[in-house]
Amino acid sequence: MSASRALGVLACAAALSCGRGDTVQRPYDNNDLQLVTSYTAKDFCSCLFVMQMSEDYCRRWTAASPAVATVRVDYKERSVQTAAALLWGEKARFVSERDGCVLE
Amino acid sequence: MRRLRGMSPLFLAGALALAQPARAECPTRSTWPTEDWPDAKAEVAVARATQIKALEDYAFTLEGRDEERKGLRTDGVVLIHKGRVVYERYGRGFDVGKRHLSWSMSKSFTSALTGLAVKRGAVSLDDSICEHVGGKVKVRDNCAITVRHLLEFASGLDWKESYEGESNQSSSVLAMLYGEGHEDMVSFVANHPLRDAPGTSWDYSSGDTVLLSGVLDAALRPSLGRDWPWVLLFEVLGMKSATWERDGQGVVVGSSYLYATPRDLAKFGFFYLNDGCWAGERVLPEGWVADSTRVSEPIRRKPYNLGREDSQGWQWWLNRPVPGQRESLPWPNVPEDAYAARGHWGQSISIIPSKDLIVVRTADDRAGGFSLDTFLKLALAVVEDLP
Repeated sequence: MSASRALGVLACAAALSCGRGDTVQRPYDNNDLQLVTSYTAKDFCSCLFVMQMSEDYCRRWTAASPAVATVRVDYKERSVQTAAALLWGEKARFVSERDGCVLE
Repeated sequence: MRRLRGMSPLFLAGALALAQPARAECPTRSTWPTEDWPDAKAEVAVARATQIKALEDYAFTLEGRDEERKGLRTDGVVLIHKGRVVYERYGRGFDVGKRHLSWSMSKSFTSALTGLAVKRGAVSLDDSICEHVGGKVKVRDNCAITVRHLLEFASGLDWKESYEGESNQSSSVLAMLYGEGHEDMVSFVANHPLRDAPGTSWDYSSGDTVLLSGVLDAALRPSLGRDWPWVLLFEVLGMKSATWERDGQGVVVGSSYLYATPRDLAKFGFFYLNDGCWAGERVLPEGWVADSTRVSEPIRRKPYNLGREDSQGWQWWLNRPVPGQRESLPWPNVPEDAYAARGHWGQSISIIPSKDLIVVRTADDRAGGFSLDTFLKLALAVVEDLP
């Protein structure tokens, strides 16, 4: 699966339907590694601390391509740190029962 | 006093009363599920074993290993018939107490909260977004966007909801949730250029809903605090499991990030099934549910990429034709009065008023292939003619 397709799959999550695009948009200041490290950090955090699923389940739930190099869970702080290709990394932390997780 | 010829004062009073629009009474229910649902699962399991097996064969049959993400992967199903739980099952590690991600089902909650804000007088449907979030809108042409336009996915903003197989750099949703927009999603959305004049076209957009949640936050936070969705809705319905994640500015992400248990999601369905009343009291404005579940004007007029199941009111999916665009029903095996909150990977809260039925499904369908029409047909068979 190509990186763009994989990210397309994960990003379709925000909408119900995919493949609607028609017009050319401005490019965003995105890159695949930034997106995948952000996605994995936030949604891994939500999976563990909001949905209260197991770490093993959450690893499969957030699997995307390109895969992030590392996912580090800090249960004491209730945070998830991701990293990829040295330069890219994101951290999400659990805030509260009502607020769930947020990217730092 | 001169009497009007042939009319007694009593008759005149009656005629004047008739001239007023009839007030819709709240439906009468013997119980409301604020604390929990009445349970009739055991008796229905016996009476409807065959129909339940057919439903489970469709929804709960897994394929391959979990990491292969094949087939339908149902995490929870709850059927509420005549105000009672008549069927409930969980799968893949979920249980009655676990919250599930709603994805775009969140949009229907944001729509409901708009109604509650209108009822409080905090916003009006024809308010410009700039009356509430003007400080974030640098593209001043966008001040022509109103609350109603956002409810109808008719902002006209040049937004790209999806991108599969295309460059990630052009995906508005990715950029909003995980890229440059995540710190301040409302500003990110509000400063896209217009593609069409607001109100003239329809395009399904998480950006429109995020902008709407920004407007609501600005309008409600001063009087109710940052937890306004709880004060206005979740605490009223007893949705104790609700979690709604926020952007970097503390605004709930109205398009995507609500989590709740299936039983709590069903309470929201029951709220709409009962015309926006709860415990016998009117909570949503009178007529709000009817207005929300009518096919909106912009989708009739100029829809972008109308999908086979796209028929929408105010951020609800409807089982109605789209006049001028498509005559068929999105779910042909389901009564036409059905409507649903839907989210990616197979989430849905379906409401079928003519059958007094709510069907909640949480799932993780990554391969596609789920048919809401088939699923609801099987769910309807479970409750057909049940007392």
